[in-house]
Amino acid sequence: MTTKKKLSVGLVINGIVLFIIGFICLYPFLNVLAYSMSGYNAVLSGKVTFYPIDFNIDAYRQILGKTQIWLAMRATVIVTLLGTALSLILTIFAAYALSIKDLPGRKAFTIFILFTMYFSGGMIPTFIVVKSLGMYDTLLSLFLPQAINVFNFIVMRTFFRNLPESLSEAARIDGASYMTILFKIVLPLSIPIIATIGLFYAVAYWNTYFDALLYIKSPEKYTLQLRLKSLLFEGELNNSGANVEGIGTQVMTQSLKMATVAVSTMPILVVYPWLQKYFVKGVMIGSVKG
Amino acid sequence: MKDHRKLGAKIWNYRWLYLMLVPILAYYVIFKYIPMYGVTIAFKDYNVFKGVLASPWCGFKVFNKLFANKNFWHAVRNTLILNFATLLVSFPLTIIVSLMLNEVRSALFKRVTQSILYLPHFISWVVVAAISVNMFSVTDGTINMIVERAGFKAIPFLSDNTWWVVTYVICNVWKEIGWGTIIYLAALTGVDESLYEAAYLDGATKFQRLIYITLPSIKSVIVTMLILQISKMMTIGLEAPLLIGNKKVLGVSEVISTYTYRIGIERAKYSDSTAIGLFQSVFNIIVLVLADKFAKLIGEDGII
Repeated sequence: MTTKKKLSVGLVINGIVLFIIGFICLYPFLNVLAYSMSGYNAVLSGKVTFYPIDFNIDAYRQILGKTQIWLAMRATVIVTLLGTALSLILTIFAAYALSIKDLPGRKAFTIFILFTMYFSGGMIPTFIVVKSLGMYDTLLSLFLPQAINVFNFIVMRTFFRNLPESLSEAARIDGASYMTILFKIVLPLSIPIIATIGLFYAVAYWNTYFDALLYIKSPEKYTLQLRLKSLLFEGELNNSGANVEGIGTQVMTQSLKMATVAVSTMPILVVYPWLQKYFVKGVMIGSVKG
Repeated sequence: MKDHRKLGAKIWNYRWLYLMLVPILAYYVIFKYIPMYGVTIAFKDYNVFKGVLASPWCGFKVFNKLFANKNFWHAVRNTLILNFATLLVSFPLTIIVSLMLNEVRSALFKRVTQSILYLPHFISWVVVAAISVNMFSVTDGTINMIVERAGFKAIPFLSDNTWWVVTYVICNVWKEIGWGTIIYLAALTGVDESLYEAAYLDGATKFQRLIYITLPSIKSVIVTMLILQISKMMTIGLEAPLLIGNKKVLGVSEVISTYTYRIGIERAKYSDSTAIGLFQSVFNIIVLVLADKFAKLIGEDGII
């Protein structure tokens, strides 16, 4: 293309500004890591910015020695694994069945699902239902009541619709059932969208704070976010300069707090780069045609 | 008769699909539609022991009480303030960043920048709140250290009402701006490349191409996104204001969702809390319909 050879001033400025925006997005993460791995005196003197000073991993040793963290990690892993599996299965079933164009009742059923996006019972009526099902203070309450996300359903249905119809038709003529077609033909072609939606569900379950706040009472069932909140914000107002603790403990907790944040976010940061190439495509498919 | 058998055969033909829909139906009935019926407790004197069905009706008593309560209107006001402030900053900024990303020539630079910009979207609000203390605290927050080094007084980001709104907006923009660009970037890849080439040959400047080709091409996406966002003005997540907020700034951080939570769960006033939820749902639907009508009026597709 003819425009390619010109690397104009505008483009350079554009690149620099984007670089700065990227740095601003990344800085808080680096800051967390830097604090968590810096020495006592460096944190105290306020020198820590985005790289560790007096590198050490004492804070991590301390945080990983706490049983509370491991219990919370276990609860969160259970909820994330079971929740993501259930959500994916249900979303795939709904999206696949409702992507078949001549299924009688398809339209009504789709509206039945979409309507819940615009009108909902709200916090308390849902709470009453969950409670009356005996799910209060169980991990089940953290994924069953929100197993299907309508947006994810739409994205997946759009993906299924855009698959070449000839494949399934040929299989139908050969006498394959819809169940067989779904598992043998459709799903193998849908790895990118399953990875994308799976990531969305997993991240949502991993990060959910509100549902745990609403439904979990016993401390041994605390999820990571709930535990994190109670560890980080105990004596909530110390973030506004109203701190009355001794300065030594304050700094200790600062490194410790940031190590806790890092540990609880690590799993997401680890899977993120692997799935990233899928989800941009996945979301684009859903958003353009949805 | 024959038609019946035909329909029967057709349904039998799709039996596996219907079987797949059975758990979906059960899920939606139990967790979405039964709670929808539960909305009736907004019109009842709800009694825990009697349950939803047997509690006595009381007409609009709950609503009258609610609308007379000034805390409720504060929560409504705060919700609108926070949502509009966020929209005002994030909406144009998201479009600008999308356009900037679209101009990048180096595929590697673009991919890395995108990956970094999307990252905050995947972080929980608890973590964002912890980070925000790191950044905005008066005593040792990064930003205030810079401010003080430059010779100014430290800014009370987390303890002053007005500054807290700024903090809230910054946190939201930081978290969601990158993610928001995806939809615009998708739309931008759909712009016909030959239009640019023709304009280039005609001697159009970069800015002219932006104004006359790029923006008109993504106009419908912009309008749709704007309608969607405006129709959600009365809805606000509970996590962000609850976690970033603190007791000092309750005057601005108490929004509808946190108020509903406090009334419903902490004080167990089920009917009042449900009434707020219903008010919110009805308001949202009205705004959505109006926004959709407006979009159609100005010649756009609309969303419903």
